[in-house]
Amino acid sequence: MKYETQKIAYDYFLIATLLFGLQVIFGLITGAKYVWDHDPLINILPFNTSRAIHINLLVVWLLFGFMGGTYYLVPEEAETEIYSRKLAYFQLILFAVIGVTAIAGYVLGWSWGMPFLEQPTILKIGIVVVALIFLFNIFMTMMKTRKWTVIQGVLLSGLVMLALLFLFGIFFVKNLTTQYYYWWWVIHLWVEGAWELVAGAIMAFVLLKLTGVDRELVEKWLYIEVGLVLFTGIVGTGHHYYWIGTPGYWLWVGAIFSALEPIPILFMVIDTLRDVRERKIEIENKTALYWAVGCAVMHFFGAGVWGFAHTLPQINKWTHGTQVTASHGHFAFFGAYAMVNLTMIYFALPKIKGIGRFKNGLSLMALRMMTFFMILIALALGIAGIVQAYLQRVLGMDYLTTQGFMKLWYAVFWVSAWGFASGVVLYIIDFFRIGKVAKA
Amino acid sequence: MTISQAKAICIWGTVLSSVIFLALTYDFHVKLPAQTHEEKIDAQVAAGKWVWQKYNCNDCHTILGIGGYYAPDVTKVMSYRDADWTKRFLGDPAAVWPAERRMPNLHLKDQEITDVIAFLTWVNGIDTNNWPPKPLVATATAAPKPGEEIFKAQGCSACHIIGGVGGTVGPDLTKVGNRRNKKWIEEQLTDPKSHNPNSIMPSYAKLSEKDRDDLADYLSGLK
Repeated sequence: MKYETQKIAYDYFLIATLLFGLQVIFGLITGAKYVWDHDPLINILPFNTSRAIHINLLVVWLLFGFMGGTYYLVPEEAETEIYSRKLAYFQLILFAVIGVTAIAGYVLGWSWGMPFLEQPTILKIGIVVVALIFLFNIFMTMMKTRKWTVIQGVLLSGLVMLALLFLFGIFFVKNLTTQYYYWWWVIHLWVEGAWELVAGAIMAFVLLKLTGVDRELVEKWLYIEVGLVLFTGIVGTGHHYYWIGTPGYWLWVGAIFSALEPIPILFMVIDTLRDVRERKIEIENKTALYWAVGCAVMHFFGAGVWGFAHTLPQINKWTHGTQVTASHGHFAFFGAYAMVNLTMIYFALPKIKGIGRFKNGLSLMALRMMTFFMILIALALGIAGIVQAYLQRVLGMDYLTTQGFMKLWYAVFWVSAWGFASGVVLYIIDFFRIGKVAKA
Repeated sequence: MTISQAKAICIWGTVLSSVIFLALTYDFHVKLPAQTHEEKIDAQVAAGKWVWQKYNCNDCHTILGIGGYYAPDVTKVMSYRDADWTKRFLGDPAAVWPAERRMPNLHLKDQEITDVIAFLTWVNGIDTNNWPPKPLVATATAAPKPGEEIFKAQGCSACHIIGGVGGTVGPDLTKVGNRRNKKWIEEQLTDPKSHNPNSIMPSYAKLSEKDRDDLADYLSGLK
């Protein structure tokens, strides 16, 4: 670690890690409601509340991870300290307070009611303030030296895009179709746009530092990947506009562009593997390397392949609104974004703690367990979804009767979720253990 | 490829896609009023949309196929449930639908229930490019008897099995016609306690005489 203020990242990673654990706990509670029809918590923590908390924690921990990653990356790229350490901590505390208030609010029935964007408006305004402080701090840091590396440029563009798009999710619109049209500008254009830029920049930085390949090579590929991600992803939003009251031409426009979306993700896999093969230095932090390669592969299968599988309208007509989407959602978020954060954490943590080589047994066990059980989760929910699409959509069986036939796969999903949670526990133990090793 | 060529791909790819997307967004707004019959969105529909959001309905139910997968999609719910049924259900979900996977009682005010029904009625009319699709098999078989439609619409399968499908709160009705005649069934529908004072079955006296007759006709024919 070259700059003192890179340590700010540690506290962001710490909160991200704790929230990740909490997200998984709420995932297990939410999943149990599918396995057992009788819900003893129905009046305290009904499904909608536990799901809202589960998916909000997902977004918030990933954002904490991205922010931590940014605070670690920017000083090294800009070759200067972060503009204001105080602002960075103020922003961290404000974001955490808003997060806790939102979750407590959901339990008390305080909701804005659009999935992922359940935060009441006043809290959303708070989130905008957090984003502005963060962007200001990062921008001012970059302006200190004005070293506009491609990695910095892509990262900043991604963060600005992320903040701007959030604005489309704040307003109440009378027409549900319009509300959902712009809701996708937040949800889709985040995960298949802005977040890809942030994650791409973070991954490019990690690979550059780990493998010592030429910066120009890494940055050239980053440009191409970003170009293709945005080219396919922006109009690719159309795969969400098939059935929500939008014109029929979205069926083919959305299909064509979204069918191309896996291409840049495939490029990222090729890019990652080439960087590793053509490395110029001995890779010291093998742990971060394994996570990076794992991320590239899981990103491709979770977001690329699993997404492609039901993106065409001929298939989506049957699978839309079934557990097939939940299968894809779990797999894609984990492969693309949970893993990129864990990669960055495993890259940065030893440096922040001032240690060179460290025992990586626990981390690799966590990597194996999370990956293996996430694949099982995706398969179990995927099969449940296919059963659902067939019985409900093809045979016309009613919704709740269909659910009875999906029980076996809900059980497989839930047991797998416990396996995944065990992997997360190992990771959390490892996160704190790495810190202790440094102190000793 | 040089880095400046890569940069050009990045910039022009983004610009091209953004231009197409914004142009289509403009066209979406032009076509939106007709496709969603926007003129029917009155103050009550808007209030109902807020009820839908305020109670976070969307994290259990999907609408337009988006949301939680724990409860039925409500996009076209008003096509197969009438306002009366929906009103009774929302007022006390467990009484109308006693199956185990149940909806919590949200203690909605009467006005809120009326508003959300107005909202769902409006949603029902959105042109969704024919989603959800009509079931392939059901549309290929003969049209169901009127009583069968009522059995479905009233959610009887929440408690009763017919042909292996349904809940287990009440008795299996697969061959109910072998043990009960039409008159007995009509009495049971009108006043469930007439045959068994401890029956937990809700009364269906609120059905029209014709509907009750059709339903009893259908059930007594199951042999």
